[in-house]
Amino acid sequence: MKIPYERRKSLYGYGFISIWLIGTILWFLIPLVESLCYCFMDNAQLKPDVGGMNKVWLWNVGQNWLTNFKYAFAADPQYKQNLISVLKDTALTTPMILIFSLFIAVILNQEFKGRGFARAIFFLPVIIATGPVYNIINGNIATTGADSGAQFSTLFETDIVDQLLEFLGVMNISAGLSDVINSVVTNIFGLVWSSGIQILIFLAALQNIPVSAKEAASMEGATAWEYFWKITLPYVSPMILANFIYTVIDSFTKTDNLVMARVLDKQLDWDYAYAAAMAWSYFAIVMVVVGIIVMIINKFIFYEVE
Amino acid sequence: MDKNMSPEEKKFTLEEIMAEAEAKRAAKRTADPEAPAVTTAPADSDVPQTVTPAAPPVSRPTTHTTANLIPQAVPDPQAEPEPDTAQPAEIIPDPSADEAEPAEASRRPLSDPDHPVSDHIPDCAKPDVHEEHHVGEGMSKKEAMRIRMKNMNKQEIAYLRRKQIFEKCWPVFRFLILFGLGFVILTPLMFMLSYGFRENADMNDPTIIWIPRHLTLRIMKQTINAMGLTRANNNPLINTLVLNIGCSICQVVTCAITGYGFARFKFKGRNLLFGIVVLMILVPTQIISIPLYSTFRNFLFGTVNLIDNMLVMYLPALTANGIRAGLMIFIFRQFFRGLPKELEDAAYLDGCGPFKTFIKVMVPNAASSFLTVFLFSIVWYWNDYYVASSFFTNTKTISLVLKNLDGILNIEIFNNANANISAREKIVWLEAGCLISITPMLILYACLQKHFTEGIERSGIVG
Repeated sequence: MKIPYERRKSLYGYGFISIWLIGTILWFLIPLVESLCYCFMDNAQLKPDVGGMNKVWLWNVGQNWLTNFKYAFAADPQYKQNLISVLKDTALTTPMILIFSLFIAVILNQEFKGRGFARAIFFLPVIIATGPVYNIINGNIATTGADSGAQFSTLFETDIVDQLLEFLGVMNISAGLSDVINSVVTNIFGLVWSSGIQILIFLAALQNIPVSAKEAASMEGATAWEYFWKITLPYVSPMILANFIYTVIDSFTKTDNLVMARVLDKQLDWDYAYAAAMAWSYFAIVMVVVGIIVMIINKFIFYEVE
Repeated sequence: MDKNMSPEEKKFTLEEIMAEAEAKRAAKRTADPEAPAVTTAPADSDVPQTVTPAAPPVSRPTTHTTANLIPQAVPDPQAEPEPDTAQPAEIIPDPSADEAEPAEASRRPLSDPDHPVSDHIPDCAKPDVHEEHHVGEGMSKKEAMRIRMKNMNKQEIAYLRRKQIFEKCWPVFRFLILFGLGFVILTPLMFMLSYGFRENADMNDPTIIWIPRHLTLRIMKQTINAMGLTRANNNPLINTLVLNIGCSICQVVTCAITGYGFARFKFKGRNLLFGIVVLMILVPTQIISIPLYSTFRNFLFGTVNLIDNMLVMYLPALTANGIRAGLMIFIFRQFFRGLPKELEDAAYLDGCGPFKTFIKVMVPNAASSFLTVFLFSIVWYWNDYYVASSFFTNTKTISLVLKNLDGILNIEIFNNANANISAREKIVWLEAGCLISITPMLILYACLQKHFTEGIERSGIVG
């Protein structure tokens, strides 16, 4: 027992994380590096072999080291379109999900009768939306014409969405805006169903707003509107960032992510190098965008405790 | 109650009030800088005072000052003839505060005039309970409100009116919003219930949308059989349960240990290692699945083939690397950081080693957090089909079966000459399958809903 206390504590720290460390090296870091290497290997020869993959670096067979990426972006018939549509989709739905879930969280944080019941319903997607059920139902509902947009149309015997868009057209508002509105309205199902966790996190943040802030605001006679902008928003702003990242990451694992579907197709065709290049370039693009946005948002975040 | 009002009160119509308020406000705008100084003081003061010191020099008509409030209320027949000496002090600061700062008015509830600051008077100062009544007593609330309104300016009145309207309308809107969105959320469930229990012939009847004409359990039974839930060996339900519960327990325990290590110990490279945890959250499984497959295929230098063995799920779970393990480590770290350090120090002083401290002191304190993470872990393992589909070939799990339900149904049910089933009719079986596969989760959610929703707050993911 000659080891000083600090040193001993740090050793205990290593002890506590050692299980995880072993696992991470085995099941995460090595595969991660290996998958990164696949991007730069010859696709034709990268096949499962006895005792592992048959790995040949691209430059050893006299090819450009970016060949796989070139294939992904230039030669593959679907990858580029899928990538663009997924990125566009993510860019559109992420802010919608954030705004929507914050709005719902604010409502669910108010006192009213049946709040527990309402909460139970709104968190229901949390347990279902991550599974394959969501996709099947979504498809089936669309097939039977019972999906949300059409449903409201049958309910009210007129197509509200189209009428609204017509109205916007009359008002001469740009086609882009009406496109956005249209996609939001037709996708309200997806929107509601993919914001369960986000609502949960926002709600937790809302309940952490100190009572003193609330009292001060009501003393000064803040309206609900002012209260939202001056109190609620600053206090939940760290969670906006967290939710933003969560939403983007979640879109990776969504069952209907076209890029990932394409990557899987390639894997099934044994084009592992192409698949790795596709997955990594998608991941890199998203991470760069996320990094930039995080840096921008970080400037506007209010941290109560520095 | 009108007979209690002095005639001069009645002549104040709304227009007059408005006009006067307008004048007052104009005067106040010039005197505004001093106004905030008095905002808090008058409401609490017990000192008898008839004139507020810093009240803006407004030229108010005397009939309308605060002094006029008292004589008007005193003639009340039910009122005590000689009011408590402290009473003028109680009531006067009230309206004067109102005109000192418009915001002041808003913070007082509308029914407030009936209950002024009499709480501040010590019990000995009011010997008789009957003397406790105050000036506003005997007036209806409306009356009291009207009097208060007269001392407000236009802005204040508008503010109160807006607030009132908002408070009346908002619950209606809230109900509509919640009802509509709740409907959207519940649509799939209703859809499943409606389609899972009907005969497939009902699908061809255009008059049937939601309410089936022929209720039946036949489709359900067929789907359960087709999904293999009645098989003796390789039963997806048992496979799933074995994987699910075992992996969840392993993962929660290991993630908690790791999270505690990150939360409470300082060691070299901690930030770097925690960066890896964050990377675990960020990197999608799809990226590492192929090398991982080759690792499992040639485990222990090519001697063991782990593919299609449940160990492919158990090994990562045992080493805190299962499904969404990064997120769980993160949650646990945040939670343990939030617990007071004194807890451990006490345990250390009593001679506990760090591991014993963790088990005896930290774990019992983190019970709610454990439950939340465990529940989420169960849900994620239940819903996972990507990992399962990558590493399992014959071992079936519920979500795997569900993902391939279309193909399975084609083989099991529609694969005979008599079956002439349209794609539209197939939906009935598909929905039955969905309903079967989510029922356990629904039951779990219904029973433990509180832990799902409130656990996350307590688990400290925020903060």
